[in-house]
Amino acid sequence: MRKAFYVSMCFMFILGLFGLFSPAFSADTIKVGIVDTYSGPATTYTQDVLDGFVLAVNKINAKGGVLGKKIEYATRDEKFKPDIGLAMAKELVMKEKVDILVGTINSGTALAVSDFARKEKIPFFVTYAKSEKIIGEAGHRYVFNMNENTEMAGRAAAVALAKKPFVKYWICGDDYEYGHAIADAVWNNLQKLNPKVQLIGKSWWKLGEADFTPYITQIMGAKPDFIIVATGGSSMVNFQKAAKATGLSQKIPFYQHTATELGTLLSQGKEAPEGVYGTSHYLFYFPESPANKAFAEEFMKTYKRYPKSSAFVGYMTAQFIAEGFKKAGKIDNEALIKALEGLKLDSPIGPLSIRACDHQLELPTYFGVTKKDPKYDFLVSGNNQIVSPNDYMPTCEEVLKLRKK
Amino acid sequence: MDFIYAVVPPQVLNQIFVGLSRTTILFIVSSGMSLILGVLRIPNVAHGSLYMIGAFMSFTIAKVFGGGATGFWMALVLVPVAVAVLSLIVERGLFQFLYEREHLMLLLLTFACSLVFGDLVKLVWGAEYKSVPVPHMFQGFVPLFGGIPFPLYNMFLLIVGPVVAVILWLIVNKTKIGKIARAAAVDREMVGAVGINVSWVFAVVFMIGCLLAGLGGALVAPTVSVTLGMDHTLIMEAFLIVIIGGLGNIWGALLGALIFGLSQSLGILIWPQFGIIFPYLAVIIVLLFRPTGLLKSTW
Repeated sequence: MRKAFYVSMCFMFILGLFGLFSPAFSADTIKVGIVDTYSGPATTYTQDVLDGFVLAVNKINAKGGVLGKKIEYATRDEKFKPDIGLAMAKELVMKEKVDILVGTINSGTALAVSDFARKEKIPFFVTYAKSEKIIGEAGHRYVFNMNENTEMAGRAAAVALAKKPFVKYWICGDDYEYGHAIADAVWNNLQKLNPKVQLIGKSWWKLGEADFTPYITQIMGAKPDFIIVATGGSSMVNFQKAAKATGLSQKIPFYQHTATELGTLLSQGKEAPEGVYGTSHYLFYFPESPANKAFAEEFMKTYKRYPKSSAFVGYMTAQFIAEGFKKAGKIDNEALIKALEGLKLDSPIGPLSIRACDHQLELPTYFGVTKKDPKYDFLVSGNNQIVSPNDYMPTCEEVLKLRKK
Repeated sequence: MDFIYAVVPPQVLNQIFVGLSRTTILFIVSSGMSLILGVLRIPNVAHGSLYMIGAFMSFTIAKVFGGGATGFWMALVLVPVAVAVLSLIVERGLFQFLYEREHLMLLLLTFACSLVFGDLVKLVWGAEYKSVPVPHMFQGFVPLFGGIPFPLYNMFLLIVGPVVAVILWLIVNKTKIGKIARAAAVDREMVGAVGINVSWVFAVVFMIGCLLAGLGGALVAPTVSVTLGMDHTLIMEAFLIVIIGGLGNIWGALLGALIFGLSQSLGILIWPQFGIIFPYLAVIIVLLFRPTGLLKSTW
């Protein structure tokens, strides 16, 4: 008898692990399945995507939901592995019967899930992966991109850098897709905008490189005017620390996409180097509008920390899903897609819309430089120059041409 | 100085110095790993996790004592000790029961430990990146060869490396536990037969090895972002260093770390676009000519 009890307990525990005891979905809810990395370094961004999403969902549900239905969500950890991510997405669709998929920070997973979503005709909102293939080559009717991609970030930086007097450039970065994509996007566009620039050298390091001192001392010996540093994640911080320790940040200005983001600057506190150029598509302190202040305060009150750019993305994703269904007037995926195309919503940083032709969210980019601010105990992005989406987004023709290939 | 520059350009000299300071961390961590491998015969995959835990602990200590000198020195002393205590608990609680079994079992156990430690770190410190400030006395840089700046903290590492090497040499060669450990590495049955409690010898050696991992973590913390996953990058390099040096040979670890660190920093100078391949090329070349490693393996 006791044995049977233990066995059944174990069985129930295993079932519990499979999520069968997670809140059961009923027919009068909209179900969203979120696949993302919740273990490893990427969690610093993905947790904010989720928290931002949940913040918005709770607000929507408190106001009675969407067309009388509440939004529910289930999450799965893909451990930064595309095969696991795809399996999780399939499981969410088959077992949990989710209506909508959201995720991921990993571009490989985003592309795999996107392909699956196309076959299953399920809308998929890409929250933080930056590959341009998501909307470009591999783009389709069911995928939406809710943040900027490498091509857009690179163009935005090139627009801002073309106005600066630098001539001799050095490019360095992570030796994998994201690094090369960012570097190519900045450089190719910069060359077009300012034909005077010249490239005097390149260096590439392995993904996850911790010590940049040997790279930096080598670059300083070559004496470029400006350095494009194509790196991401925790390497951003590593590079900035090495740049400060070697005095690079005082001698040669450099640019890193997301250098000015909270995720990069927060952990270093006041020790971060000043004068680093960076681009970001959300800053909780800029623009200083009442709407942005309200969002930051709301997030702060709920989670006891400032929202990162990924929190903003999660928040807006939930808003677009809800407003899309409201505009469609019924809970139907095809109607939702139609409704989202060209939908314009108020956001903490002003009105944002989803471009109808390629399902890309049109975001402004802030090109700024790190500086101290007495209000915060970490560095902020100063002298922010707003690069409008019209100035840096690839045109519909360019994107659709990629898709036909 | 000019006559030196005529033979070796300042950039090369500079890269050698940067490479040597990087070698310090690699040597400290991989010597601990090599020690454990030589005496206990455990390829300790969790070694990198202890290094990561060390780095996270120094973050906490730096926070408690403020980023100044006190916090830094406290971390350098307290972190290795705390990591050693943690390792002792793991060794007495888990590892000691598997010494009689196949190596594969121990390997699996250390792998499991590394996964558990990874999750523990996430539970205790969260998923955010952490940053430990460089203590004020080591902030800044000095112009070295040809005026290329060299970080003061790296200068400090250049001193720490040899100090640790000498202390290790003294422990291994001049103390009783060192002599017993060396004997146990060669023939553990014989050591047991002369009435020495081999199990406790193993525990102490394991502790010393892990202490070095913790020290490595405390030393590296001010130069990098302390983050989940920093164990994976390191463990790969440490394994390669241990292999090219000769399994279980501490001086092999020193030699391996030197080859690894220097081939990287000089490789960057020769071909910056493919700087990453030079340490691996060095590993391949070493293994082609000496498949068992440069120095005598204790296996």
